[in-house]
Amino acid sequence: MPYPLKNQPADLRESMYFPEIIRGFGDLARHFFKNLFFSRDRNPDVLARKRGGFGYSDNVTLQYPEERAPYPPGYRGLHRLVPREDGRPRCVACYMCATACPAQCIYIEAGEYADDPIEKYPVKFVIDEMRCIVCGFCVEACPKDAIRMDSGEHTPPSYERAAQIWDQKRLLRGPSVSYQYDPWLRRGSPSISPEKLEEMRARAKPFPSVATDEASQTPGFSVRALAQEARERAEAAKR
Amino acid sequence: MADEKKPAVPPPAAARPPPPPPKNPGFVTATIDGREVVVKPGTTVIEAAKSVGVEIPFYCYHKRLSIAANCRMCLVEMSNAPMGKLMPACQMPVAEGVAVKTDTPRVKDQQRAVLEFLLLNHPVDCAICDQAGECKLQDYYMKFNRQPSRLDVPKNVKGKRVALGPTVTLDQERCILCTRCVRFMREVAKAPQLGVAERGNESFITTFPGQPLVSKYAGNVVDVCPVGALTSTDFRFRGRVWFMSSARSVCTGCARGCNTFLDYLNDTTYRYRPRENEAVNKEWMCDDGRLSYKYLNTGRALAARTGRGAQAQVVGRAVAEKQAAEALFAQARAGTLAVLLSPVASLEDLLAACHVAKEGLGISVAYVGGRPDGWQDEFLKRADENPNRKGLELAAQAYGIALRPFADLVAGVQGGQVKGLWAVGTEVPDAAAVAKLEALEVLVAQSYGDGPFARAATILLPASPHSEADGTFVNFEGRAQRFELAYYPRGESRPHWALAAAIGQALGLELSFATGQEVFRTLGSKVAGALGDFQWDSMPSIGKRFGIVPLAAGTVDGRLAGNRDRVPSETSEDYRRALARSR
Repeated sequence: MPYPLKNQPADLRESMYFPEIIRGFGDLARHFFKNLFFSRDRNPDVLARKRGGFGYSDNVTLQYPEERAPYPPGYRGLHRLVPREDGRPRCVACYMCATACPAQCIYIEAGEYADDPIEKYPVKFVIDEMRCIVCGFCVEACPKDAIRMDSGEHTPPSYERAAQIWDQKRLLRGPSVSYQYDPWLRRGSPSISPEKLEEMRARAKPFPSVATDEASQTPGFSVRALAQEARERAEAAKR
Repeated sequence: MADEKKPAVPPPAAARPPPPPPKNPGFVTATIDGREVVVKPGTTVIEAAKSVGVEIPFYCYHKRLSIAANCRMCLVEMSNAPMGKLMPACQMPVAEGVAVKTDTPRVKDQQRAVLEFLLLNHPVDCAICDQAGECKLQDYYMKFNRQPSRLDVPKNVKGKRVALGPTVTLDQERCILCTRCVRFMREVAKAPQLGVAERGNESFITTFPGQPLVSKYAGNVVDVCPVGALTSTDFRFRGRVWFMSSARSVCTGCARGCNTFLDYLNDTTYRYRPRENEAVNKEWMCDDGRLSYKYLNTGRALAARTGRGAQAQVVGRAVAEKQAAEALFAQARAGTLAVLLSPVASLEDLLAACHVAKEGLGISVAYVGGRPDGWQDEFLKRADENPNRKGLELAAQAYGIALRPFADLVAGVQGGQVKGLWAVGTEVPDAAAVAKLEALEVLVAQSYGDGPFARAATILLPASPHSEADGTFVNFEGRAQRFELAYYPRGESRPHWALAAAIGQALGLELSFATGQEVFRTLGSKVAGALGDFQWDSMPSIGKRFGIVPLAAGTVDGRLAGNRDRVPSETSEDYRRALARSR
């Protein structure tokens, strides 16, 4: 924080030095004890963190990587391919993400299922995470909610560049999602047993109208809940 | 339908005034959206509107097929319509003094309603539909409708992937029953193998039981289908059309030389589509021609090579060219050299090869290779499956080179009169005879593919086919047709003319070409007389269409992360760059 420095000759007290030295030590000691025991940050996000315990201060510095700040709602993390409940990808290889991708980092090869109402599926779905600019256009472009960046983690670093090229085996993970309009629910599929199909139908959600709808998010990760919490914190800070 | 053509019954009492004389005698004059249009009698409103730049939407209308007027998309207001009804513009001929309106609220309302009906049972599975990007339902929906569906009962369920025949797959749900395909098979292909079964919204396109769609022209129904119902089995799910660029090209499947669009991405050809040329192929092509692109992608020779069998080793192209020139010159001096010319190569290729053979090697007899004859019919396909036999004859004639059949060459090799051979193109009519060529001391082969002939070569020079060069084919009627370069030559390959010129240079000839155009400018004057009014630079006005240009940067493992095609990794430019970096 800059402060105005008055350009004037030192007065008597300052030119004696010792009172100022003592005052300086006083400041130092105050900050030292404040940081050691009483440090408080005005940022509600920092205050809300579970911290403390004997021997820990409420200092703002995070002891990364043992301590990690939670990412804010809407954080665009590592991609994942959303699985159906039977383990196949929701993706139908329509190439919309590859079309929207400004970095051209998505590579898709389409194949054909013999036994599924969705005829087309990705034989290869490769994302070059080194080339990805994390813009999230692929998530917005997807008409099937088949690719998301809701994993809440960033791309892990690696010593080999080749490890940054993520294929379907690594991308297909996380909780599965079904919507009522999904063809395998409406038409049935020989690869899903009738009981399982009924179960899936019961769990299926209506398709969200906006991408940030709660329904479109992973269970346990609700954008709305997080936004509400942030709002409450902001109001509490005002009061 | 026929009733609509009849004028309304006139009141009996009132005497009808005589019609005014036509404004332009011999022609019909009408007004379309306030613009005056003068057309020949019998011209339909839709064609007349097109001539003055008014676009009337349509699905079932096709200018080379009979009129069905069943999609109702082209309904317009006409001043002579009985009871003020909307009239189908594709069916109604322009009458004298008629005022046509295509943009009134009534017409717009009708277009929106028709689209809603057509889309009522449409599955809207654009995500998995190969037609997406060139689909008229998509285009017209965005242009005329833009309304959500009001259907609140389940849609009709029909066959999703019906294999109609070896080349065509049908999705009956996407079909809008315009019957273009039925009319095409009946009227153009003359093989009525398709029909409409059932009634009402249960109707679907189908073949007769036990009789698949086996016509050799069945592939055209994929092109005439305005929606994604009929799709090509070969192209199915292989790529998205908006990524692909189109080059104006010529089919190399037979001597007809059907005009095509060559759709490519990076350096892979994905499909041929027929390109309109009234004089050659109208806008059709045969299925064998459609599938004849495959040799451009697979089994290519991409590096120069010397030696046969175990002695074979990859060398730089410049080294191979020099060795080839030396070996050929030695054989020519001994009088044991023969030249094999392929009618699959372009006119520019053959002119350059003939020039080098005559001026550099002193050859006066050449042998003709080329693919063996195939089937023939009265519509498009010719028995001669080589695109440029006429061009070969012209080029040889221009240089005074006599042409002999391939069988004579085999006899010469067996008799020992021929010990060295320069093959410009390795297509031969008799595949079994290739083994006999291994007796040759010197076999310089300029080859597209790495087949048995290329393996028999002592010096292999990789050649680029027509997708990778500019050039000309002369079809069986003597019509010279240009094709344009789609993508730059793969690997080390270069067009035949470049390889021939390099050999010529090594022999001491003053030859240096950068483009096919330069070849034709330099050497084409010798054949220009036989080509009529052919102009090398005049391509048809339909432009080259550009799709996406993939980013050039590569990844370390050599795979193109951002590419959207199936280039075998060892042939891609990015792979070579990545390799060069890692070494």
